[in-house]
Amino acid sequence: MSLLSGIFSDLFARQDNTLARLDARTKLIVALAMLAAVIFSTTPVFPLGILLVCVTAAAALGVPARLLALRLAAPLGIAGMLLVLQSVMAGSTPLWSAALLGVKITVTREGLHNGLLIASRVLGGVSVMLLLSSVTPAHRIFGAMRALGAPQGWVEIAMLMYRYTFVLLELTGDVTSAQKVRLGYAGMRRGLASAGTLGGTVLLRSMDQAVRTHEAMRVRGYSGEIPFGPMPKLARRDGWIVAVAALALGTLFYAAEALCP
Amino acid sequence: MKTRKLTGALLLLLAVAALPSTAGAMHISEGILPPQWAALWFAVAIPFVAWGLREMKIRSAREPFFKPMVGLIGAAVFVISCMPIPVLTAGTCSHPCGTGMAAILIGPALTVVVSSVALLLQALFLSHGGLTTLGGNIVSMGIVGAYTGWAVFHVTRRAGLPLWGAAFLAGLFSDWATYATTSVELASALPGSGSFLHMAAAIGLSFMPTQLPLGILEGVITAGVYRFISVRRPSLLECLGVATAGGAR
Repeated sequence: MSLLSGIFSDLFARQDNTLARLDARTKLIVALAMLAAVIFSTTPVFPLGILLVCVTAAAALGVPARLLALRLAAPLGIAGMLLVLQSVMAGSTPLWSAALLGVKITVTREGLHNGLLIASRVLGGVSVMLLLSSVTPAHRIFGAMRALGAPQGWVEIAMLMYRYTFVLLELTGDVTSAQKVRLGYAGMRRGLASAGTLGGTVLLRSMDQAVRTHEAMRVRGYSGEIPFGPMPKLARRDGWIVAVAALALGTLFYAAEALCP
Repeated sequence: MKTRKLTGALLLLLAVAALPSTAGAMHISEGILPPQWAALWFAVAIPFVAWGLREMKIRSAREPFFKPMVGLIGAAVFVISCMPIPVLTAGTCSHPCGTGMAAILIGPALTVVVSSVALLLQALFLSHGGLTTLGGNIVSMGIVGAYTGWAVFHVTRRAGLPLWGAAFLAGLFSDWATYATTSVELASALPGSGSFLHMAAAIGLSFMPTQLPLGILEGVITAGVYRFISVRRPSLLECLGVATAGGAR
């Protein structure tokens, strides 16, 4: 849970920098275009280029190296696993073979290419999400999604869930600490019983909090729907940013596809 | 060819065992699904999310308190799904899905909505799952997990099982159903030298060392949660229709 509270936050996105000042809709549109280009690429070069650009940008904006490492650790593991598995499970042209524990393992040309491609797509895609969430607070991302057509009810639930996740995470941390000092996690059996109690407590508190939240919202004029004010019109600058980003993405995509088939 | 398949399955098994954090992540990572499969899973998921939003709108119109409650329960289930639980076979910790638990309380349609939000939050702020794979993850975790858990709970309550027993089975089967669906989704996306069924079986097999015990643990925790609530606040379960689900008394 401590690990989660360390990386599950948009605290860094609230800092002031060039990318954070851009309109969230512009950033979301560019991020979606980058993701589409990453999964449509047929060569690992383009997704790896996206990875380089995004991680460099995040580091240049001052995102702590530890946070980057924590966020990229699981995708790196997945990418590595996919590379190994595809290399030996797909394709038919042998490239290299060796015996491991008496079993012959053959790496194929097609499998290696598939593995590299999928692994690069994973890393490229994750780095786009990482950069987006490093320069845009959650409520702005949800606002942009609403402006781009996401259903109002869904966005309302998203905002409520995000807001109260931190309240409940704090509660969970407090209850867990109290259970630990009472040896609540000494042994599997007691640990599971404590986990059940913890889950039940969190659910009960969430429902109590829901009553209080609803009362507070009613006092502020809530009548069943959270009002979303009209978003300002996109500035000419944002239009230029989207156009330049689309042009750059398109050029790099086709260059990578043509030069590195 | 047979040796090749055996080697692949063996390596898959070893890889998952060696990378328990990967196995523990129940979401398909960003970029794994090719465009056509990503689009297909979105097409499958969207009607279910729309159905859930329709149900929320109807119930919110009757009771304005309902929407904040769904949001808060969603946040609670999200937090519970991040609770580390020990997996002895992998020698590490993993996380419960939480969809079975939520489906018992707010029903499967709303659980799909809550899961879609939780999956997006995890993709954005934890790098678990992704935006292009959101559709696939909603199908496996939100739709299959929630409807399986809800159905198992109601059928077993109707059969006369006590609340905690039905909750155990709901948590267990929703977890296993989620992973079985994830295996099918991955097999459809990852090319292999064998058939689709062979690939699905190999991936499913590789999940087993962690998922069989993890499903049982998720069942135990779901049972513990509902037992706790039924002792501390039985009126709440009656109010939400959980205590009398499936016609149980």
